Amino acid sequence: MIDVRNLSYSYSHNKSYAIRDISFEVGEGEVFALLGPSGAGKSTTQGILTGLLPIQTGEGEVAGFDLRHMSRDLFNSIGVSFEQSNVYGKLTALENLAFYRKLFDVETEDPMELLKMVGLDHVANKRAGDYSKGMKHRLTFARSMINKPKLWFLDEPTTGLDPTIAGQIKDIVLKRKQEGTTILLTTHNMFLADQLSDKVGFIVDGELKLIDTPRNLKLKYGQRLVQVDYYQDGELVSETLSLAEAGEKHRLSEIVAAGNIETMHSREATLEEIFIKVTGRELVYNEAD
Amino acid sequence: MLRRILAVTMRDLRSGMRDAMIPYILIAPLLVAVLFKLFVPGVGSTVINVAMPETAEPAFAEYVERYGEVELLEDRDAIVKRVQAMDDLFGIVPKADGGYELIAAGDELTGTVEMVQSVLSSWQNPDLEPPVELKISDMGWELSPLARFGTNFLVVFMSVFGGMIVMLNLVEEKQYNTMAAINVSAIRRWEYVLGKALPGLILPILHAFAVLVIMGFTEVDYLQVAVVAFAIALISMIIGFVVGVYQSEPIGAVASMKILFLPIMASVFGAIFLPEKWQPVLYWSPFYWAYRSVDDIVLQQAAWSDIWLHNLIIIAITALVFALMHKRIKQGMRA
Ligand SMILES: Nc1ncnc2c1ncn2[C@@H]1O[C@H](COP(=O)(O)OP(=O)(O)OP(=O)(O)O)[C@@H](O)[C@H]1O
Ligand SMILES: [Mg+2]
Repeated sequence: MIDVRNLSYSYSHNKSYAIRDISFEVGEGEVFALLGPSGAGKSTTQGILTGLLPIQTGEGEVAGFDLRHMSRDLFNSIGVSFEQSNVYGKLTALENLAFYRKLFDVETEDPMELLKMVGLDHVANKRAGDYSKGMKHRLTFARSMINKPKLWFLDEPTTGLDPTIAGQIKDIVLKRKQEGTTILLTTHNMFLADQLSDKVGFIVDGELKLIDTPRNLKLKYGQRLVQVDYYQDGELVSETLSLAEAGEKHRLSEIVAAGNIETMHSREATLEEIFIKVTGRELVYNEAD
Repeated sequence: MLRRILAVTMRDLRSGMRDAMIPYILIAPLLVAVLFKLFVPGVGSTVINVAMPETAEPAFAEYVERYGEVELLEDRDAIVKRVQAMDDLFGIVPKADGGYELIAAGDELTGTVEMVQSVLSSWQNPDLEPPVELKISDMGWELSPLARFGTNFLVVFMSVFGGMIVMLNLVEEKQYNTMAAINVSAIRRWEYVLGKALPGLILPILHAFAVLVIMGFTEVDYLQVAVVAFAIALISMIIGFVVGVYQSEPIGAVASMKILFLPIMASVFGAIFLPEKWQPVLYWSPFYWAYRSVDDIVLQQAAWSDIWLHNLIIIAITALVFALMHKRIKQGMRA
């Protein structure tokens, strides 16, 4: 469904790249999650794949269409949910969807059904301008499904939503995945990526550092973590150490030798920890997003 | 295809009617026309205006008075001076041989010279039929210069409002960031542009009709009006696009639209006041050519060939502006 090679992109058309030499493939029915901290280049990548940003260097194919010779027909088979909601504030939610569905040549979903799905049916006739941030975001998300896309681009679909609603969104995505929709998910939420994706790609500073399945990653970096809580100068300190690394192994034996241990157990690494290990970078959650 | 174009247009109309600005733009021009109508003086039914010497035979003056307004002036010099003033007025000076000298400035409306001549000859030959035709055409010629120029100006100026509507609808897309959603739908760029442009192309035609009706020009060729209004609507609409795709805030956008005011004012006032040999300095302006067409139309003396020629010039200039601006527009529509 997606096959891109050596994509680089610079907003200022110079040597400062927002993404650099990115290559990956997403097979039909697969869910691929692009993970990375803020500013890593996730949205830029999605922008190129959806034709919103012109391809600069590299090659690619999306849903059978060459990125360099995109046809409008491509858009009948893809759906795009934006990280920043963008709906007509002077129209109601229902009007927003009723308008948007007319822009496609293919069979479309019933707007009211979509609103029900994302829990906006009770405010369907309210102007989107009067919606809260999260409601607008859900409307943007619902709109991206209107043409029953075979390939679905989701940029931060759950960011800024309360956990219950984020859970509902996740369930919708899961359901579509089971129905065979190919999905490119962009997020810095590792739990979401873990639960939804077949493959994850770690992206940092515009570079794709690694691509693998969550399972493989855990096998590789997994069972060797030890979390140890101990007292130091009267205070409880917590450290997570990997037994795979000599330095950390040594550190663990030091703590054990000191003898002030409260608890100690080994556990599976989370994707987040693996990310930090692989990229040396934190996934900073930005509350404002 | 048509469905998508209309979807864009209908969305714009629906959304537009929900704030104050667009309904205001729709009716403001009509209000201006109504106000203007109130101030245009003497829209009487005078057929012809004639100045003659005080010494002229009273019976002759009375006879002419039946067909028009007569001013009695001191002597021939005073009459010549009067004829040269801006409005349509003829001088008639009795000659020693019993005949009459007809003094005209040369810029009178087509047909009026003939009218005066026929009045004169029917006076001189009482056996002839009275000039019946004169009575019939009476209606259309109640034209003061202010009514003529003012109306023409308003018709040309209306195109700006079409451009403004287009612009405001684009500003709305920028404001809500919805262009990105449009760009990932299956609508073609040209379908979208046409859908957006439609109100800006149709509205100036309707506005022009309304202005003419309000000003009392019910007998002009409305098809000609539509053709001219459409041509200048094109250029205003392009300016609307240029401004609209780079503004995300309506008030600022309307303010930027003012760049159109200067060329329009310059064109119209230049066309009215510049002497013939200076008129070429306005040839670059599509509004100048539109003004000339509208002037002919209002005077009911427009030939289709002139209208098409003027329109061709307008469209050529528009095409040039578009060629210069289309990259900018395209870029602005990216996101
Ligand atoms: N329109 C733009 N103009 C110039 N630079 C931009 C633009 N959009 C993004 N960038 C830059 O490109 C880089 C990648 O940004 P991008 O939005 O792709 O990151 P992201 O991974 O989506 O981040 P986030 O998690 O915050 O959404 C950043 O350095 C950003 O500053
Ligand atoms: Mg982003």
